[in-house]
Amino acid sequence: MFETVAQAVINGLLIGGIYALVSIGVTLIFGVVKIVNFAQGEFVMIGMYISFFLAHQYGIDPLLSLFVTMPVLFVAGVLIQHFLIRRVLGPNDMPQIFLTFALSLLLLNLALMLFTANYRTVHTSYSDEAFHVGGLYIPEAKLIAFGVAMLLSGLLWLFLHTTDLGKAMRAASQNRDVAMLMGINPNRVFCVALGIALALAGAAGSLLMPFYSAYPFVGQVFVLMAFVAVVLGTLGNVMGALVASLMMGIAESLGIQFVGADSGQIVVFGMLLLTLAFKPTGLGGGRAR
Amino acid sequence: MAKARKDSACKITNQASSGRASRRQFIVRTGGLLAAGAFGAVPLRGWAADPVNIGALYPTTGSMAQIGVGCVAAAKLAVDMVNEAGGIKSLGGAKLNLIISDVQSDTTVTRTETDRLITGNKLSAIHGCYASALTLIASEVAERAKVPLITGSSSDQLNKGRTYTFTPFARASQFARAQLQMSKLVSDKPKVAVIFENTAFGTSTSNGLKELAPSEGVEIVMFEPYSAGFTDASPLINKVKSSGANTLFSVSYLNDLILIVRTVKQFGLNISINGGSGGFVIPDFYKNVGKLAEGLQGVAHWNHDVSEDAQKVNAEFKKRTGDFLFEYAGGLVAQTFMLADALERAASPDPQKVRAALSTLDVSSGYAAMAPGGKVKFGPDGKNIYGHPVGVQWQHGDLASIFPKEDARAPMMKI
Repeated sequence: MFETVAQAVINGLLIGGIYALVSIGVTLIFGVVKIVNFAQGEFVMIGMYISFFLAHQYGIDPLLSLFVTMPVLFVAGVLIQHFLIRRVLGPNDMPQIFLTFALSLLLLNLALMLFTANYRTVHTSYSDEAFHVGGLYIPEAKLIAFGVAMLLSGLLWLFLHTTDLGKAMRAASQNRDVAMLMGINPNRVFCVALGIALALAGAAGSLLMPFYSAYPFVGQVFVLMAFVAVVLGTLGNVMGALVASLMMGIAESLGIQFVGADSGQIVVFGMLLLTLAFKPTGLGGGRAR
Repeated sequence: MAKARKDSACKITNQASSGRASRRQFIVRTGGLLAAGAFGAVPLRGWAADPVNIGALYPTTGSMAQIGVGCVAAAKLAVDMVNEAGGIKSLGGAKLNLIISDVQSDTTVTRTETDRLITGNKLSAIHGCYASALTLIASEVAERAKVPLITGSSSDQLNKGRTYTFTPFARASQFARAQLQMSKLVSDKPKVAVIFENTAFGTSTSNGLKELAPSEGVEIVMFEPYSAGFTDASPLINKVKSSGANTLFSVSYLNDLILIVRTVKQFGLNISINGGSGGFVIPDFYKNVGKLAEGLQGVAHWNHDVSEDAQKVNAEFKKRTGDFLFEYAGGLVAQTFMLADALERAASPDPQKVRAALSTLDVSSGYAAMAPGGKVKFGPDGKNIYGHPVGVQWQHGDLASIFPKEDARAPMMKI
């Protein structure tokens, strides 16, 4: 029994790390730029395809392709902020919602057209292997993904708390008007926020590639969980999103083990509704950190 | 901390390059055919018999596109074979003319497309649509229009209240029984865990397994629906592990199945897997899981090693597309020859006469008889009275028939 529970918790924690990378991106954009990025999942998909093609064409290990996907998507984020999102920032939310939603549909259908609906996998030496620790199994690829996800989250936290630009981003997320009065250039801050958020999505794509198939709809699978984590961990709160993602991974896994294999999401969404009923601002306590 | 490694090389699976290259070849060839149709359709003897129109309804876009495209390639190959062999002799060597329609993996589109195909063309017969959900609708439309429809779809529903629908291959209910019997090949006391996606397909297939298990002497120790399209199979496999099963039946589409097979390996679980049919018996499955597929079992209504004729068609299909001829596509090549046989005997392109000829079809040799058992004869419900599924196993990157004994073409591989 103990073994079963421990295994379920490990499984949940490991997939939670991936949810975290996606949800931190969403919450960062929401916190700083105040828009909901519906296309975040599609950037994970793009990250996966970049990793796939690098592995396929040049034999580059998907983990090493992090050094390509992250910069490429960072630049994409900056460009999207500069040429698209900046134009629709204003008092009205609707154009922003439709902008990111349209972006999501565009990217998804472009991928369908260019890459077809086929599943593509990269098989590495560690894809199917696992560490065995006293009766428990820890898949290598997922452990690596989890480790890198936590490392990137830690680096982001350091960036937000120790650098001027990071502090400016936190300031902009706490109160945009006051931050602007203090001389913070909003467009520059927004560009960096978008860049970082998309780079994290790209990282998630590269980390997923050794153990998950790439296909045009893959982003949709992860983005739903990411949105739940963002709300659960308080909108705009990076640490909250991280903790909520890990919790959701564990809740989903325990739900599958003890409630029913089709009930993982029931547990997750039940948790979301309960949290909202008793703590409407989310577990992060309503503060953007 | 013990660590086990098998392969050190970084292996990559890719369907894109081969798919694209073959598609190019395909376009070149079909383009040639089209050009011949446009400029070169000059009757050689001053007159030519009117071609016989055959409708082909397949999902070449949408979620089932991958398989639908393969089906269309096989349908074209079959028509080319019939025409190269002289067409329909009783109709003055009339050529078969394939009219392809994309049903977009969508039930509503299937209804309108079938209607459009029938009203817009003088069809002698139709074949399609791969997925049972789509075929059920197309067969309703065809029934009303009195055009015969021949299909490899397995739903038992297709044999109810229809007189224009013909199903030459095994029915869904037979698949479940074959799967249960196969579990006894591996263990004397099979303890089966059934996991299935919570969709119409998953639920109906797994319920069939559950109902038949007691009469086949198979114990089901776990019966669990899961939500299709999960992010991680580990929790599910953890559950299978704690159930103590020695055999796993997974009723899943391709992506879930890939994750399940990989996760079973990671957990070091010693369990025999039967992946059923559908996504399990197509070349893509092996391309995605590679060596892990070796020894895994499934069931199919057709396999390319059922007869020498099937092997020949397989070789030609491989030349055209780069992949082996998979279950559904192979079955529909046989179906095209059944239609040709019926047309030959009907000596008329009239759909009602073709239906009458199909209902008296009785073949046991040639391309039309490419089916497990090697015989096709339709009963009053349109079911092939000899129809049964074949148990298959992945061996060295190919699918080999291993069950039942009379259809086995290779010994079962122990794993």
